[in-house]
Amino acid sequence: MHIPDGYLSPQVSAGLYVVSAPFWLAAVRKVRKSLPQNHVPLLAMLSAFSFLIMMFNMPLPGGTTGHAIGGVLIAILVGPWAAVIALTLTLAVQAFFFGDGGILALGANSFNLAIVMPLMGYFLFRLIAGNAAPSSRRFSIAAAVGAYIGINTAAAAVAFELGIQPILHHLPDGTPLYCPFHLSVTIPAMMIPHLTIVGAAEAIITGAVIKFLGTNHPELFPSEIAAETTVKPAEEKKGGER
Amino acid sequence: MKYKKGWIAVIVLAVLSPLGLLAIGEAWGEWDNETLKHLVGFVPEGMNRIKDMSPIAFLKDYSIPGFEGSFAKTSIGTIISALIGAGLTALIMYFIAAGRKQNERS
Repeated sequence: MHIPDGYLSPQVSAGLYVVSAPFWLAAVRKVRKSLPQNHVPLLAMLSAFSFLIMMFNMPLPGGTTGHAIGGVLIAILVGPWAAVIALTLTLAVQAFFFGDGGILALGANSFNLAIVMPLMGYFLFRLIAGNAAPSSRRFSIAAAVGAYIGINTAAAAVAFELGIQPILHHLPDGTPLYCPFHLSVTIPAMMIPHLTIVGAAEAIITGAVIKFLGTNHPELFPSEIAAETTVKPAEEKKGGER
Repeated sequence: MKYKKGWIAVIVLAVLSPLGLLAIGEAWGEWDNETLKHLVGFVPEGMNRIKDMSPIAFLKDYSIPGFEGSFAKTSIGTIISALIGAGLTALIMYFIAAGRKQNERS
């Protein structure tokens, strides 16, 4: 899902930098204001995690490959706005040092994977999880559903951005100038693998990691613990010291 | 070290990263111009103009120059790439977030 340079026109690339900018500003402002101290190393670790998870390419029908992102998982653990920053940074490192995803396209890639995915997925997760305890089944299922919808919304955004290129930019005879594939090609090509294999992988990874952490390290979910009336203050304190 | 188990998981993931090499093919819509020409018969004009923008992509495609050929060699290159990439990402994120603390104090 890392769009390389050349597939998007400079106009669309610039436009998506402009669209992403307010989200980046909002994310920086929110994180400066409210990221807890003990989340700084956690955020660093999760950025490394998202970098690595994207290296695990899975074979897909049709001879292409795809990979999970981990965007919603990060959003659940450190908050959606911190996730925006962590994922944008990961994409920037991949683009600059590894040539994975374009530099001009970084605004677009960030919009799809670092903004749409974590915000959309986290919103849905919150909606479904309600006040459920981090160790509960409902909490991890909400995480899995958020991840599934999050990655598929991102995939749809990629399909749309690529598919409108031949409509927006072509020579007088209709020859496309940038991505040559129309929406009728990009939508099934992106959506079929993401609705099935990649989406399932993202959902399972997110649900399983959240289930594990919710059961064994509930202190990672301070707001949820605070919402729970059954937790003793002593226990809460013990968790906070970690 | 804080989140020790988490960092161990990160290193385990990096060591396992060559598993991603087993998937044959490329991600859809991420082909280079040669492959694209093979697929659709031509390279769109704009795509010839704009490509490979990063001047510092020293680990292109997560491989290290000189570590090609056998699967074992490629795997070592991939693991080193994974460790460099993950380490770099974590380090930059740490400094961004740590800079936030100073801003708070001043």
